[in-house]
Amino acid sequence: MIDFTLSKAQQAAREYAHQVALEEMRPISLECDRTEEIPESFFWNMQRRYWGGAAAQARAFGQDEGVRQENLLTVISQEEMAWGDAALATAIPGPGLAAPPILSQGTPEQQARFLGIYMDGQLHWGALALTEPGIGSDVAGMSTTAVLDGDEWVINGHKHYITNGARADLIVTFATIDKRLGREGIRPFVVPKGTPGLIVGRIEKKMGLRASQTAELIFDNCRIPKENMLAGRGEKKEGFKAAMGTLDATRPMVGAMAVGIARAAYEAAWEWLREELPAGYPPQQRRAWEEELEELGQEIEMARFLVWRAAWMADRRIPNSKEASMSKAYAGALVMKATATAVRITAPGEDSERKQLIQKWFRDAKVFDIFEGTAQIQRLVIARRLFPNIDIP
Amino acid sequence: MLDFAPTEEQEEIRKLAQSLALDHLRPHARRAEAEQDSSTELRLTLAQTGLTSPFPEEYGGSGPLEAVTYTLIAEELAYGDPGLALNIIGSLMGPLTVWLAGSHEQQQQYLPPFCNPTSGYLQRGSLAFAESTGTYRLADIRLQARRTSEGYLLTGTKRDVVHGQRADLRVVLARLVENENENEDKVAEGKLCAFVLPSPLEGLSIQAEAEKLGLQAAPSARYRFTQAQVPASALLGEAGSSGVVRAATLYQILRAALACGTARAAFEYCSAYARERIAFGRPIVSYQGIAFMIAEMAMKLDAARLLTWRAACSWDRGEADETLIREAESAQRQAIKMAQAATTDAIQVMGGAGFMQDHPAEMWMRDAAAME
Repeated sequence: MIDFTLSKAQQAAREYAHQVALEEMRPISLECDRTEEIPESFFWNMQRRYWGGAAAQARAFGQDEGVRQENLLTVISQEEMAWGDAALATAIPGPGLAAPPILSQGTPEQQARFLGIYMDGQLHWGALALTEPGIGSDVAGMSTTAVLDGDEWVINGHKHYITNGARADLIVTFATIDKRLGREGIRPFVVPKGTPGLIVGRIEKKMGLRASQTAELIFDNCRIPKENMLAGRGEKKEGFKAAMGTLDATRPMVGAMAVGIARAAYEAAWEWLREELPAGYPPQQRRAWEEELEELGQEIEMARFLVWRAAWMADRRIPNSKEASMSKAYAGALVMKATATAVRITAPGEDSERKQLIQKWFRDAKVFDIFEGTAQIQRLVIARRLFPNIDIP
Repeated sequence: MLDFAPTEEQEEIRKLAQSLALDHLRPHARRAEAEQDSSTELRLTLAQTGLTSPFPEEYGGSGPLEAVTYTLIAEELAYGDPGLALNIIGSLMGPLTVWLAGSHEQQQQYLPPFCNPTSGYLQRGSLAFAESTGTYRLADIRLQARRTSEGYLLTGTKRDVVHGQRADLRVVLARLVENENENEDKVAEGKLCAFVLPSPLEGLSIQAEAEKLGLQAAPSARYRFTQAQVPASALLGEAGSSGVVRAATLYQILRAALACGTARAAFEYCSAYARERIAFGRPIVSYQGIAFMIAEMAMKLDAARLLTWRAACSWDRGEADETLIREAESAQRQAIKMAQAATTDAIQVMGGAGFMQDHPAEMWMRDAAAME
């Protein structure tokens, strides 16, 4: 039955994440953005509060409710976290983007071996290394190679724009085992931190999400055990599908973060109108701004519903590539519009912390129209799903 | 708990509505546009399904439906033809308002004719909502109803009243005011109320809206009230009751659903065209310039539909009036805006063919524009 109300578990996940965002993220948001650094205490607090608290609680409630809802619980939390600070949200300890390929392509033994380390109460991160200097969304053109040598895979190549790449304990990297196979030759591999030949290159300077760590990784004859290839659980080796499947799960999450930032900017713009609007503005100007914000509020709700629907489909194991792309494309454009609107409306008057935050969100927003597939790639995915028998190059 | 799947029963009803839309609405759309009405035959066909008498069984109806279910039906009907769908929904809103806002006696008086198995399909209802501003927002209602010793005096105007001219049941939304010549602000603050208009009514002039941009298949009229006296019994239920808000927001939600159906018709039609049409040796949909426009349509249609469903869910749960109004008006605004963009883009995808009356796209673009 169509229902837009949150269950107990969903409500709990939202409230807990919101509290964490409010108490742990907002207070250090501007400082972390300025310094591009995150205090160690933040990681420990998140380890304790988020993994120990929210996630466990949500899991418990979720089990009570007897339906699969990991994806929904995640997007609901992600919106709140990004409302707090999207850069800090990407730095929360845990397997992060390494988890989806391990969960979908790893054997039970591999899942236990790789994800087990995240349960020891210490600080651990994970990363997903897909993008290369020469390839982005066109993963079939990947140049990183993996060659089997005895009991080891030897990986050579160059990855960049890797979130948490320098601090990750495990990196899931995609490489080709045979270039002639094109995308069919692509496989996911798990590379532990400290493996000889895994070199951390430069840390990027960015327009926004500055506190989020974006690293370059170089694999120079990097040898990992044969058992570190995520071979898929079926007979067929589905490396490319694994890469794409990961995106179907993570695009709604990225969409949720975009919604969180958009909402933060929207709320701040309202607060500014109420509290900081300089005297002497004609009422019709104020009314025009209010109408603009009302419209924006409606678009934020639509973006959130697209995200929820895509996550709900993932939980129900309904193929959701098209819907995942819709949520990401819509939310990515929306967050740009929301933050730009907030910057414009709040331009008059004195500088304030609220305005600095709005400007930060404006800078953070742009990448949501880009990473996990640009707006154009999302439209391509949607169109290809709408017209499965037509070759849309 | 969040859920985005209709129930099995809703899905069956939706399929029924879809087959009606494709078999009985779409093929007759141009004729209905020319004749500016639905045919008696069509109304009989619809009545036989029970979809047009969602009233309690005690009045002979086929049983009330949830707003979500009606939202699904309205989208399908508009997918068949927006003008005919509005013709049907517009008629239904008259008795629906009596059911939602009226007293038991009023329901007994006005609903049975609409449920009559042999003549019910000939009945036309109407709900007068929009005024000179043309919006379907509750805050813009200014028709004044001033209490007098004999009842109420109505003063003001209405437009876009579907079936306004030939309705068997005319319901109007108004604001209750205490004094003569109240200023605008006072009228806006007046309690929202609904009246059933006696027929004939002295002081009411009704004029058909002949030259319309779109939605011609839904005949509409303008009302002008000059000190029109209606009896106290014309007031449905009580002034300022939630029933009136529920009727008005249901109309808004269904109008949003009609917009979604219109957009879906245009989206699917231009998709099929773009798949077949060859240019430079390839189907035009294989070019990103076309494919991206269609992807955008699909995305924004889904977004607006979800917003519409959310409002319908809140309606079914009986949310507070302010919540319902905010959600229904959001859905209505976004869905209509989306439909206008989708129908316009559909023509663009089809190029010159879209402009021609051989195809329905140009009609849908005018229909969507007329929904505002």
